[in-house]
Amino acid sequence: MKFPSPSSAEAVVAVSDLSRHFGSKAALDEVSFFVSRGSVLGLVGENGAGKTTLIKHLLGTLKAQAGGVRVFGLDPVADPVGVLGRVGYLSERRDLPGWMRVDQFMRYTQAFYPGWDEQYAGQLLEQFQLDPAQKIKTLSQGQQAKIGLLTSLAYRPELLILDEPSSGLDPVVRRDILEAIIRIVAEEGRTVLFSSHLLDEVQRVADHVVMLQRGRVVLNGRTEEVRGDHISAVLAFAEPPAKTPVLEGAHAVAGYGSEWRVLFGGSRLELETAAALIGARVVEERTPTLDEILVARAGGKGS
Amino acid sequence: MLWEIWGGHKAGFFWQGVTLGAGLCFAQWKRHGVSELLAVELTIASLSAFIGGYLHLLSCFAYVEMDAAKVKVGYPGRLLLKPLRTFHLVLAPMLVGGLAVTTMLDIWLAFVLKPLGFLPAYDLCWISAVLLSFFWWMQALAWGLPLVRFRSFVMVAAALIHLTVGVMPQLPFSISPAWQWGTLGALLVSAVSFAWIGLNLMRQGRGDGPSRISALWSGLRFARARTSRKKFRSAFAAQFWLEWQRQGGLLPGLSGGMALVGFPFLFFVGFKWVGVDAPPPEVVLILMLIGPLLLSGMLGAALAKFDRLDSTRELPGYISVRPMTNGGLVMAKLAMALASSALTLLLSVAGFCLCQALAGKGTLLSKAGLVTPFGPVSYMTGCAPALLLLIIMTWKNLLAGIGSGLTGRLWIANLFGAWRGAAGMGFCALVLAAKLYEDFREALLHWLTAILIVCLAAKIGVSIAAFAWGLRRNAITARAIGWMAGGWTVCGIFVAGYAGHVCNALNQPGLRIWVTLGAFLILPLADLAIAPLALAWNRHR
Repeated sequence: MKFPSPSSAEAVVAVSDLSRHFGSKAALDEVSFFVSRGSVLGLVGENGAGKTTLIKHLLGTLKAQAGGVRVFGLDPVADPVGVLGRVGYLSERRDLPGWMRVDQFMRYTQAFYPGWDEQYAGQLLEQFQLDPAQKIKTLSQGQQAKIGLLTSLAYRPELLILDEPSSGLDPVVRRDILEAIIRIVAEEGRTVLFSSHLLDEVQRVADHVVMLQRGRVVLNGRTEEVRGDHISAVLAFAEPPAKTPVLEGAHAVAGYGSEWRVLFGGSRLELETAAALIGARVVEERTPTLDEILVARAGGKGS
Repeated sequence: MLWEIWGGHKAGFFWQGVTLGAGLCFAQWKRHGVSELLAVELTIASLSAFIGGYLHLLSCFAYVEMDAAKVKVGYPGRLLLKPLRTFHLVLAPMLVGGLAVTTMLDIWLAFVLKPLGFLPAYDLCWISAVLLSFFWWMQALAWGLPLVRFRSFVMVAAALIHLTVGVMPQLPFSISPAWQWGTLGALLVSAVSFAWIGLNLMRQGRGDGPSRISALWSGLRFARARTSRKKFRSAFAAQFWLEWQRQGGLLPGLSGGMALVGFPFLFFVGFKWVGVDAPPPEVVLILMLIGPLLLSGMLGAALAKFDRLDSTRELPGYISVRPMTNGGLVMAKLAMALASSALTLLLSVAGFCLCQALAGKGTLLSKAGLVTPFGPVSYMTGCAPALLLLIIMTWKNLLAGIGSGLTGRLWIANLFGAWRGAAGMGFCALVLAAKLYEDFREALLHWLTAILIVCLAAKIGVSIAAFAWGLRRNAITARAIGWMAGGWTVCGIFVAGYAGHVCNALNQPGLRIWVTLGAFLILPLADLAIAPLALAWNRHR
């Protein structure tokens, strides 16, 4: 099996031609990418794109039907202890034992990780303002995310995997979580892989982005490069087109009358050339946000 | 609602039909005249089928829903938001359930148990009405649980009240039928009212707030949590603790409750009430020791779950991502089951001592010689192996179906459950046939050693293959295999040795080879060997 090799052997995660079907539905279709040590990778895509399925393969809770997954060079299904001992994971569904108290869950988790840093755990407990005597089932969704994050951070894992960490959280908590992620990455140079459908969050935090659409990787690269490869522009027509203009290389075209906004994948020169071919000129342009790119691609054919 | 109940319990209803059919056949068979011994066996088989099937029926029609995440049991939440009157929400499942459980009871009593010689001392109508009231009260308490404090005590109290009301017609002092029916009527009406009030309050969102007692308890726990920061010595210890918390206490709790409260109350208070002498101590002891064995068989089906309230049987996310081998997770479960069995039997012995003390008939020590093969002189020496044997058998019962249950696939667990049921019935049929036909018995006894050896060889073969596969796939470590195989061998030698000793004591040395092979056959090994692989299949889907 050939794994996509990063520029060096520093790949913490390497996924090669990974495919997964649930019945007749392809959840993942020949997905390949790698995550190098010390980077923050944002996994983005609309609901049902395959983000959680992909993460479950990285954790070994799903087994690859085709292709392969290596985390720290190990197969997470064949060697779960070797992989999971170095991974911190926050689940999208939280998956916490409602019957345990916060302190019990911390003690339980601590037993599995020799590197558990009690001082750091105490610090996070205080920062997140969690009551150790409270039952997990009585915690709000935000508090549950905090305890989940605490127990996945406290042993300082080499790879932190967060599945929709912001799901259901208010903006303040979101900031808390993001700050924590940024802090550990900045301070200790470890690796973070997180999935989110909040693209502004990804844009702010991730230095790499992988975009999934219907189980396929449609974008993969440094966040700024991905954004830089697209242009959000306004095209002006001398005469209003009778129907939506077709612009080669555009992922989305919207508007009415003589001015149309497009999201174009390519360079400025290519945009101008393509616009000229349909009798339009570029009157305004800027770098699009990840959000705009995702929406445009999700609304398009997925190419 | 009926469609929902039917859809959720089709397999269970099928088996219930099978047990009822078997019960009817047994009753007809007995009616045509059989030997005394066979009549007793038929009666025991019918009674067991009735109890098992009926408990299942009660659980089907109780109409409760479990929320594993919030750790609560209650009325199906989705129905609370339907545009229906609370009265209808309460009455519909009560009527449907009540009709089902009373009808089924009447069918069993009239067509199976009565022909088998179980002549209830009470009017059938009275028994049905008491059962109906008890069922409604259990429904009401289960639905309104968030509003009820000290729920276990309330449920036990409700059960005792119904027991008392149930025996009203037989009490030594006379209570007029009008009073009897009036009391029962009040219980029925209050059950419906309680359920209606509970559901109404829940629909108004007044069910989840903590009481003052809960708040005080929470404060105490907080203080304790601040001071108690004891770490687990190892990952295994942490997993064992989790298993104990979710499953371990159930069997000792139920058996201990029966042994320390239920039996003493029943034998030394209840019997006096109805003017009957308490049974002899050896009967009490046997009931107390057999109880955990039967109970462990019933609870064993759910042992493979990591949370007994979880209906999916999938490995919870917070366990599946822990760096522990599948073999390690299985070992923690086995250790929990063993500790649970040991505690259960110790509590049962303590209950027996309590009964003896209450009866003023001496202590356990003076009677222990009755159940040991070593006689009363060395009863202490004899008692310990007998207790150990019961612990091993209880443990074995708890582990029944662990291999299939850990796959996390309900259909596989059901399939194996059905297979076990069919195998059990096949075994019973074999024994029955051997009793009825001498030729068959001769042939069976002639080939029995060979059959048992083949079965044992197959079992060991499957186990070796499963261990080897698990080792190759990193599902289990060599150390865990050593524990499992070693444990099986030691327990097998012990059980075989004990059973052999009993054979000698009974002057039946010819049985020794069969009980030795049987001991190794009934103790689980293949199940244990398959368990890590099954868990791997569940964990890495």
